[in-house]
Amino acid sequence: MVRVELKGVLKGWEDFKLTVDHLEARDGEFLTLLGPSGCGKTTTLRIIAGFEKPERGEILFDGKRVNDLPPYERGIGIVFQDYALFPHMTVFKNIAFGLEMKRLPKAEIERRVRWALELVGLEGLENRYPEQLSGGQQQRVALARALVVEPDVLLLDEPLSNLDAKIRERLRGEIKRIQRELGITTVYVTHDQEEAMAVSDRIAVMNVGRVEQVGKPLELYYRPRTEFVARFLGLSNILELKAENGKACLGGLCFDVGRDGKVRVFFRPESVHVKPGDTAEVIDHELLPGRIRLRLKIEDEVILAERFLDELPFPVEELPARVGVEVRSFSILE
Amino acid sequence: MRIKPSKLFLLVPLAFMVIFFYVPLVSILKTGLWENGFTLKYISSVLTNDYHRRVILFTIGQAVASTLLTLALGLPGAYIFARYDFPGKGIIKAILTVPFVMPSVMVALGYILLFGKSGFVTQLIGRDLGIIYSWKGILLAHAFYNFPIVIRMVSSLWQRVNPHYEEAAMALGARGWTLFRRVTLPMISPAIFASAMLTFVFCFLSFSIPLIIGGYRYATIEVDIFTSIMVLLDFKTGSALAIIQIILSMVFMYLYLRALDAYAKREEQRVFRKPRPFTRRDWVSPKGLLVGVYSAIVFLFIVSPLLAVLYDSLHFNNAWSLEWYRRVFSTEYNPMFGATTLDAVRNSLTFGLATIILSVLVALPIAYALHRWNFRGKRLFDVLVMLPLASSAITLGLGYIKVFSGTPLYFTAWIIIAAHTIIAYPFVLRAVSTSLKKIRPNLWEAALSLGAREWKAFLRVELPLAIGGVIVGAIFAFAMSIAELGATYMLAKPEYTTMTVAIYKFLGARQFGSASALAVLLMAVSMVGFLIIERIGEEVW
Repeated sequence: MVRVELKGVLKGWEDFKLTVDHLEARDGEFLTLLGPSGCGKTTTLRIIAGFEKPERGEILFDGKRVNDLPPYERGIGIVFQDYALFPHMTVFKNIAFGLEMKRLPKAEIERRVRWALELVGLEGLENRYPEQLSGGQQQRVALARALVVEPDVLLLDEPLSNLDAKIRERLRGEIKRIQRELGITTVYVTHDQEEAMAVSDRIAVMNVGRVEQVGKPLELYYRPRTEFVARFLGLSNILELKAENGKACLGGLCFDVGRDGKVRVFFRPESVHVKPGDTAEVIDHELLPGRIRLRLKIEDEVILAERFLDELPFPVEELPARVGVEVRSFSILE
Repeated sequence: MRIKPSKLFLLVPLAFMVIFFYVPLVSILKTGLWENGFTLKYISSVLTNDYHRRVILFTIGQAVASTLLTLALGLPGAYIFARYDFPGKGIIKAILTVPFVMPSVMVALGYILLFGKSGFVTQLIGRDLGIIYSWKGILLAHAFYNFPIVIRMVSSLWQRVNPHYEEAAMALGARGWTLFRRVTLPMISPAIFASAMLTFVFCFLSFSIPLIIGGYRYATIEVDIFTSIMVLLDFKTGSALAIIQIILSMVFMYLYLRALDAYAKREEQRVFRKPRPFTRRDWVSPKGLLVGVYSAIVFLFIVSPLLAVLYDSLHFNNAWSLEWYRRVFSTEYNPMFGATTLDAVRNSLTFGLATIILSVLVALPIAYALHRWNFRGKRLFDVLVMLPLASSAITLGLGYIKVFSGTPLYFTAWIIIAAHTIIAYPFVLRAVSTSLKKIRPNLWEAALSLGAREWKAFLRVELPLAIGGVIVGAIFAFAMSIAELGATYMLAKPEYTTMTVAIYKFLGARQFGSASALAVLLMAVSMVGFLIIERIGEEVW
């Protein structure tokens, strides 16, 4: 297990530049790089793996500079989006490959491949070829192959995005379980915010070649620092208000912002509680499974509110034209 | 620049290329352009000489005509193969591979047996069509060799044209010829152009066919160089002709490579349209007639010269007999080529196997470097290593005579093997590179992440996956080696006579029966290569 650090890393192409001032995956931590396609998350992962060389900056494993180490000397395990299983080798041979590179004795290889197969629940499939496996099984083989060499760092590049939604959910749980069990430092790349929230210890949100914010999932979700992070992680209400005496108000809806002047107040639709009252006009609503999403107008602004149906103080069929509004948690954007 | 020791392995193949290709090339340049200083005397005396000028124009003219004939024969086939699935398609497809491995001496012999003065066809229709010893025979034989290339390249791209384009155009009112000309043709044109350019280069540099079928009256530049050196011993004129030939073929080769780039880009499209299976009703429609007639033509065109040779070898004094085979193999010593026929068989096989080994050893490191590394001047490097493709066997022979006569290498078997390797290795390189390109780059990275060093990742992961390309390349190398006539004829002393040279000498002495018997043997050896290629079924071009 090691601590992975990127310091002042710069990698540029003609039309794209990646700059990572500081990014750290702590000992045994599950760190996710989250962002839209083209944000540089995969490039960051490939720099950690050693497939790309940064023009500037340092890559540190436990404080030791590894910039000049080739991938095969970094002690990494990597799982690709398309699995990259060797098509001419059986499952067994695929998993054994890394051990053979280490020239381990045959019996030891055999023992460790069995261990890895058991770890990912694929006992009995060792003589199949990759093309004879389902997508989910291939993904497990790829995971076993990466883990069997006992890497210091596990790198996962959108490992689930080629799979069906159901298998995706089950596998992400398993990846998380295995990672916990082995306590291995893991860097995970995805563009799916739900997946990121579900598995990560911490998430680094990336946008156009920069890290926007790093934090625990709920911290990012409820207290994003930038509009991009706020919007990327879910539905958002963002209000531009003027604060006086530490208070910013939109009509009858006030926030204790603790400062004066222009502020941008952010809150999630599920932080908006509705009650009988007169603060906002109900423009329309949308029914979701078990929930209701309301569009509310206060002065010239429209905000979204989302409630579970059974928390609503009135029946859905008898929504009043105006409601009272209370925002229980909010944050201030930069 | 610091060069890692791990990159030094490239030095061996590069040294081989320099010694056996670039040094001879430079020596030809020197012979043709240098006499107490730079001079264009010999070039201009060739260009102002009526005979040589006619030869140059004829060479280009016959190459253009051969290419057009090849396209006319190949394009309908490309259409049929891309669009229809019909019973017997597999057989026709397999037959189309035959010309890739058939020595041209043998095909020339087949044509003489079919269309010559007492040929089968001539006797059948009672009239000499004037095909042999004329340009007609040259065009026919060139089309024989090249129309399978057109079919392969064009149909492979044609299958990848997304049907939605045509359907969209049809919905907008385009149909028939307009639809083809405005929508389909622009999409397949890179394949048509690339295959046409490749055909053109082959026809431009072809030697055995014009030599045997055309005779001296229809000589090409290649034949002209050959006679200048071997008959007239005029190295200056030969070198001047070789220089003109190299310049022209480099231009054509450049056009071919450009066309190939466009082709490769289009070929990346993943769309793959399944050919439509034929129903019983299709057979009686015009489509069925087209497919039937075309298949019959392909079959006759390719198989008839081979059958003619086989039939002739089994006929002695108008009766079935194995006499020719007995004669060919019982002769203790054949004064015509100064060795026994068995020696020739042994030589052919030895040279073929040695060429496989050497050309794979030369091609693999270069393919690896081109596949794996990015460096400045890579494009130039690519051109330099493919340049042997633009030079002809006769030019190579001429260069070797200039450079190596007087060295201990001269008149050895090694020099012949070296020549065969230089001729064959670009095809191995191409075959291997094509296979390597098809491998997903992730596999390489996965291997590195698992602790494999670069060369180990190549040997354990990429090479096994590209092995089809290596094998197909090796078979091509073998086929080219045993078919090679020009350079071998120029460089071999009698005891290194190959089957191909022996057949040529039998032909010169008009001993068709012996030539046929030996040619059947050559055909059998080639057939083995053909079967292996069929099994692997990799597209190489």
